[in-house]
Amino acid sequence: MAAVDLPLPGLGAGSGVITVDAGGACSLRVFDAGLACCGVEVAAALRRAGALAAAGDVEEQGAPLNIFVVAGTVTDKLAPFVLKAFQDTPAPRRVLSFGACSNSGGPYWDSYCVTKGVDQLIPVDVYVPGCPPRPEALLEGLALVLRSRGSAGDGERR
Amino acid sequence: MTGGAPAGGDLPARSRGVIALLEENCTACMLCARECPDWCIYIESHKEPVPGHEYGAGVTGPAPGDEFGADVTGAVPGAEFGAGRSGPAPGPAAPGSGDDGPRSGADPVRGPAGRGRQRVRNVLDRFAIDFSLCMYCGICVEACPYDALFWSPEFSYAETDIAALTHEQGRLREWMWTVPPPPAHDAGAPLPREGLADRPRA
Amino acid sequence: MTPQEIIAAARDGLPPAVRCEPDHLGVMLRVPPEHWLATLVFARERLNCDFFDWLTAVDEAGEGFSVVVHVYSLAGRHHVLVGTLLPRAAPRLPTATGIYRGAAWHERETYEMFGVVFDGHPHPAPLLLPGGFEGHPLRKDFVLAARAAKEWPGAKEPGERSVPRARRRAPPGVPDGWGPS
Repeated sequence: MAAVDLPLPGLGAGSGVITVDAGGACSLRVFDAGLACCGVEVAAALRRAGALAAAGDVEEQGAPLNIFVVAGTVTDKLAPFVLKAFQDTPAPRRVLSFGACSNSGGPYWDSYCVTKGVDQLIPVDVYVPGCPPRPEALLEGLALVLRSRGSAGDGERR
Repeated sequence: MTGGAPAGGDLPARSRGVIALLEENCTACMLCARECPDWCIYIESHKEPVPGHEYGAGVTGPAPGDEFGADVTGAVPGAEFGAGRSGPAPGPAAPGSGDDGPRSGADPVRGPAGRGRQRVRNVLDRFAIDFSLCMYCGICVEACPYDALFWSPEFSYAETDIAALTHEQGRLREWMWTVPPPPAHDAGAPLPREGLADRPRA
Repeated sequence: MTPQEIIAAARDGLPPAVRCEPDHLGVMLRVPPEHWLATLVFARERLNCDFFDWLTAVDEAGEGFSVVVHVYSLAGRHHVLVGTLLPRAAPRLPTATGIYRGAAWHERETYEMFGVVFDGHPHPAPLLLPGGFEGHPLRKDFVLAARAAKEWPGAKEPGERSVPRARRRAPPGVPDGWGPS
C-alpha cells in the first residue's frame, strides 16, 4: 500500500494528517473483536477508512497483514472465544489492544469476572490507550503496527 | 511517518486526550491518588525543611555558612534576633555609617532583623499516571486543589510495550505544552463561583 | 390505578401478612416467602401488571437476602414492587417463571450472584460467570481479590515514600490479613 495521508483532527487552525506508510507491499485486513463500548469507536474508524478505500485513495497491493483488534472488556466468560478467534486469524497477524479494558482491565481491573488485559491470553503488539480512544487513535495504532512490523520480524512465526 | 500533535479544527474544546502535570503547582497532597477510582496515580514524596523567611533591616541574604540557619531549630515560633550571627547586635544603625553590610541590625523603618520559623514542604519524588488503567474520568483534575493537573487533547501515544503507557513526571510535564487555553463559557452557563465576590453588584 | 387503589385491592385480595406501602416507583408489597407466588399471581391477574421488568436480590447483612421483583402495567401505567426476605443460611424461593416467563434469566443471574435457589427453574445454568467460578460475587462477604493484590496508591500520607508497616490497612472489600505482605 502506498503512503496514504489520512486527516487528523486537532485544535486550532489548520488540519493535520497521519501518513500511513506500509512500506510498499502490504494491505491491511482488520478484524474487530468489538466486545464493548470501544467497538463503537473502532467501527467509526473502520467505516471512515473503508470510505477512503472505496473512494480510491487507498490501493490494496501485496500480501495482506491481518490485524486482530480487541476493543472492549474481555470478561472471563468470553475469554475462550476471544482466544479462539485469535487462533483462527491466519498468519501473518498482529494484535492491537484498543482501549483501557483490553489493555489492562481498565476501570474494571478489580472485578471478579474480568480478564485484566487481553495480553493475558494472546500476545499483543500495540496498545492504544483511551476510554474509549478516538477513532483516529485506532488509525495511529495501525500506523504503529506497520512501523514496528519490520522490527518484529516477518510475522510468519505467528 | 508524520503523526503526533493534531492541528486541525475538529476536536471539541474540552477534549480529554491525556492528563498533564504542572509540577510547580503540585504539593503532593495525595488527593488525586486517593480519589482515582482506578488506583492508577502513583505518588512518592518526601519532606524537606524550608528556612524561615528573613526580614528586617538591610537583609540581603543569609550570612556565609548560614544558608539554612544553623541556629534555627524550627521548634520555636517567632523571630530569633540575630542569634548566632556575626555582626553588631541589633540596634539603630549609626547615621552616616555607610556600607553597613547585611547584618547591620535594626532598621528604624522596618524594625528589628529576624528570621521566621522553619517550614516544611513536600517534594515530589515520583508522580506517574498509568494510562493503561486510566478511564479518563477527570476526577483527579477536578479534585486537585492547586490546579496542577490539566486536560490535553493529545491522543496519539499508543505504545508497543504496556509499561511505556505509565507516564512519569517528565513526560507528564511535556504534555503541559499541549494544554489549550481554557475555552470560553458556554452561552447560558451558570457563572463560576470563583470571583463572585469581586463582581460589581448589579 | 392509583397507589391508593392498589393498596386497597392488595389489602382486600392478599393475606394480612402482606404489607403494602407506597414507594417512589409506585407500591411496594412486602410478602413472607410462603406467599411469594400468590402475590405474583395477584399482581399479574388483579393488578394487570403484565410487564416483567427485573428480579434481583439484595444482601441485607445480618437479616438475610431480600428478593425484589419489579412489574409494570402497560394499560394502567402503574409500577408494583414485590419483595420478600429469605434467611441467609438457606435462601430458597419457588421460581416465578410459571407466572412471568421473563424471570428465567433474572433468576439464573440472582442464583449465581447471591446463591438464592429457585425451586423448579427450568434451566438453572450459570448465565454470566464462567464455568468453575467459586462463590457468589455479589454477597457482601465476597472478597475482591484484585484489591487485595494491589496496594492502594493513596495510602501514603503527603511527604511519605512508603506506608509504614504499623499503619497498613486493607482496602475496602478486603478482610484483614489478605493484603500484600
